[in-house]
Amino acid sequence: MSAIVRADRGRCIGAGQCVRVAPDVFDQDEKEGLVVVVTKQPQGEALEHARHAERLCPAQAIQVHAEPIQTKGDTP
Amino acid sequence: MTGSTAASVFPFRRVCPFDPPPELAAGPLVPVRLWNGRRAWVVTRHAEIRAILMDDARFSGRMGDPHFPTVTEARVTVDRNERAFVGMDNPDHDRYRRLFTREFSVRRMQALIPEMHAIADRLIDAMLATGPPADLIAAFAIKYPSLVVSRLFGSPYEDHTFIIDCAAARHGLKQTPQEAEVKARALAAYVRRLIDEKEANPTDDMLSRVIAEQVLPGHLSRDDFAEIGAMILRAGHDTTTNMIGMGTLLLLRDPGLKAQLTADPAGIEGAVEELLRYVSPVQFSPRRVALADVDIGGVTVKKGEGLFLSLPAANRDAGVFADPDRIDIGRDNRELMTFSHGIHQCLGQMLARFELRVAYAKLLERLPGLRLAVPLEEIRFKDDMQIYGVHNLPVAW
Repeated sequence: MSAIVRADRGRCIGAGQCVRVAPDVFDQDEKEGLVVVVTKQPQGEALEHARHAERLCPAQAIQVHAEPIQTKGDTP
Repeated sequence: MTGSTAASVFPFRRVCPFDPPPELAAGPLVPVRLWNGRRAWVVTRHAEIRAILMDDARFSGRMGDPHFPTVTEARVTVDRNERAFVGMDNPDHDRYRRLFTREFSVRRMQALIPEMHAIADRLIDAMLATGPPADLIAAFAIKYPSLVVSRLFGSPYEDHTFIIDCAAARHGLKQTPQEAEVKARALAAYVRRLIDEKEANPTDDMLSRVIAEQVLPGHLSRDDFAEIGAMILRAGHDTTTNMIGMGTLLLLRDPGLKAQLTADPAGIEGAVEELLRYVSPVQFSPRRVALADVDIGGVTVKKGEGLFLSLPAANRDAGVFADPDRIDIGRDNRELMTFSHGIHQCLGQMLARFELRVAYAKLLERLPGLRLAVPLEEIRFKDDMQIYGVHNLPVAW
């Protein structure tokens, strides 16, 4: 199972809940403390964490879209 | 507003000091009457509260709106005059909040942990030097978050009594409008003076950084910063104090819980989340005004009607938290509502979490014999305040 994570910095309010529950997927930038996606196609546990973050985000800034598994050689 | 049942007067009284008032078991929307006879709704179910907080198009958080509901007469004045972003809708809200998000990032708050340890240790050293008994509220629960936020913000610790007094004037249930407004202005004026001082003599703190990065380049006025600074100081004091007081009381009343946490210090994160859920000290905020007629929770909220979103009730919603009145430090608390939801979700929530993790762990580690020094009847609960907790916690060790 694969998925693509998107984060909308225009909605982000810097709550950091994504970083709290999915530090393997999200970070906050130094300049504004707004969301940065560090793992765009998480799998396994990281994917679970990303879905948790999607639910938690107070600004509805995170979206985790299920995608078909990429074959070798594809890049997002 | 239809309905044959007479609306009860809000706020309700607690029957058990550890549980929300029994009237909050009804819902999802409970019709109530306020101090001024106006009708409002109290929303008591997790799903409806979450939906309202995510629906900025139909529910406004603008405190200047004459329909914005208030829990006391005193709150009318301070809320209508609220100039910090807590009282704004978008786009203004995000514009101001984003000037501060960097200051409250997870990384920045995490970096304060060694300082939190040092502060907690010094306070406990003082308690040990004086010897038991002690009032944990006066000796630790008030001083600890105050020292932490004054270090972070850059305000002198010696001013903490003044800051707490100003916060209490807003968060009490018994103040007059004049008292509340005078103290609100005094706190903002105090922060404005600090801004002027730090502009002349910058040091390593939030005040100085925000002056350099936002005020001097013209992104934020000094007056606006003073209002936001007052909000930060107010918010950083009694919420955490109350969590430490109530949380410690709960641990001391339940030896099994205390033992569980002492045996497994790694469980402190989960324990803090569960205590946040169970205690949920902010009782009468957030609030919203309906901008249109909305069908929700089986009722029609009319345009202009006010809503209190009961975070304590959401945190005890049996549809979300199984056996909600039981403290279970292993519980999955991803649906925690203590810090609210939506764009106004608590700016300081990571600060609060780290503060509490350190505080409870330190108290258990350094005062392993910590126990109540008085019967429960002698604990005075904050039924007179909007933010719930205990006024006193006499302990021995």
